[in-house]
Amino acid sequence: MKKTITIPLGSQHISLLEPVKFRFVCENEKIIDVSSDVGFVHRGIERACATKFTFEKIPYVVARICGLCAITHSLCYTQAVENLLDGEVSLKAKYLRILLVELDRIHSHMLCLSHVSENAGFEAMFMQIMGDREYVMSLQEMITGNRVQFDYISIGGVNRDIDTNISSQIKKNLTIIKQKVYDYIEQFENNWSLSLKYKNIGKLSLDMAYQYNAIGPLARACGLETDVRSESAYLPYVDVGYKMITRSNGDIYDRNMVRLYEILNSIQMCENIVDGLPSGEIYTKLKGKPNGESLVRLEAPRGELMYYIKGSGKPLLDRVRIKTPTFSSIPAFIEVFKGSDYGDAPAILASFDPCMSCTAK
Amino acid sequence: MKSSIIQAFKNLLSKPITIDYPASPIIKPFGYRGLIKYEETECIYCLKCEKACPPEAILFVKTDNPSSNEKNKKSLEYLYNPYLCIYCQECVRACPKPSLALWQSEEKPSSGIMEDKVNEKWFEIENLKRGDKL
Repeated sequence: MKKTITIPLGSQHISLLEPVKFRFVCENEKIIDVSSDVGFVHRGIERACATKFTFEKIPYVVARICGLCAITHSLCYTQAVENLLDGEVSLKAKYLRILLVELDRIHSHMLCLSHVSENAGFEAMFMQIMGDREYVMSLQEMITGNRVQFDYISIGGVNRDIDTNISSQIKKNLTIIKQKVYDYIEQFENNWSLSLKYKNIGKLSLDMAYQYNAIGPLARACGLETDVRSESAYLPYVDVGYKMITRSNGDIYDRNMVRLYEILNSIQMCENIVDGLPSGEIYTKLKGKPNGESLVRLEAPRGELMYYIKGSGKPLLDRVRIKTPTFSSIPAFIEVFKGSDYGDAPAILASFDPCMSCTAK
Repeated sequence: MKSSIIQAFKNLLSKPITIDYPASPIIKPFGYRGLIKYEETECIYCLKCEKACPPEAILFVKTDNPSSNEKNKKSLEYLYNPYLCIYCQECVRACPKPSLALWQSEEKPSSGIMEDKVNEKWFEIENLKRGDKL
């Protein structure tokens, strides 16, 4: 008699936010094998970038890959193109770019934490965090003119400047969020639903994180010190007060903690940027057409995002390759699932913060 | 635990965070990205906005009744599709006479519903234009 049972999770499931399919092979309650499929929202964006749109228009195309990470996609592509053009982006534009990326990270981490709370059955906390997230969303709307699709980054700089009104509003809202995050930390440490229930659940060891190429908060929760912000010099992260946050246990609890302390670090960075924003132009006209190859990495909220572009001096690029953080982490996801209880699977999946729009693109 | 109980009581007495739309209007932030506006008499017909637009929501097509603007030597007519527009302001930045010939207003577009078939005529024009170029 067969001892195992196969349970599909997805592509449409009540606990899933986006279409992904996992097939769990379970023995009683334990998951012993997992397979995954991620291509449900494929839109052919890489192909469209190389055939339909000229290189100046692509920042607006790649921003539409994902609503949550819109700014990181357009920024990563823009940096890759700027490598192949003549001219230098001003320091002020770089600072403003960091400001937007970090605001994006704050609201993305808050979204993930709210979903982890929801999967723990803590609906009130979900509402609370989503309500507080509006403070960041309103800041983004104020700076860029739009809530989700920012269209803020252009080749050569940024599209809008911030004035004293916006600066004071940023500081005011960030002070409120900081206090809220301290409250969340207390909740996530002491509340039974959120902490004790999730300690030692969905664990990934440091060796496994190395072996299976874990990135982003998933890797940092295991103690793996990997963060593009400290490894790449495209953006002056060291000057604005970046700090690596790592934990050692690698379970859901530690992933939550990494995200919470990263929010605090991002708030600190945003405050530093607003206080010490250098003067200068926000936009520099860059000349020429991309000729050659360029590869750029950027730390998105979920981990390392990579763009490779190849141009041959024409308006249309030869190739645009996008490697997204969730796609790179899938082997590590599968490893975490093995040996866990099936009942914990939705909560473990929420703690990974998967982004399927990015992955399937 | 203590703080969450206090928060729960505060939530009981406080107003909802969400806006009671459409009963109360949405407050637009300063610099809201709305419809692109065009002033034909100021236009110099350089066609830079058409080239810059990422979703190709601005088209200049030949017309039988051209305007009396002397710069319009090729008898062109400006067409704009608010349903394709992503309000990125790229056309305004490309325009040599921004805020006179082309500018971004804070006006919201009307909602496009299925029955209106808002894009069908537009795609016909696009195809015709592509045919012209060929």
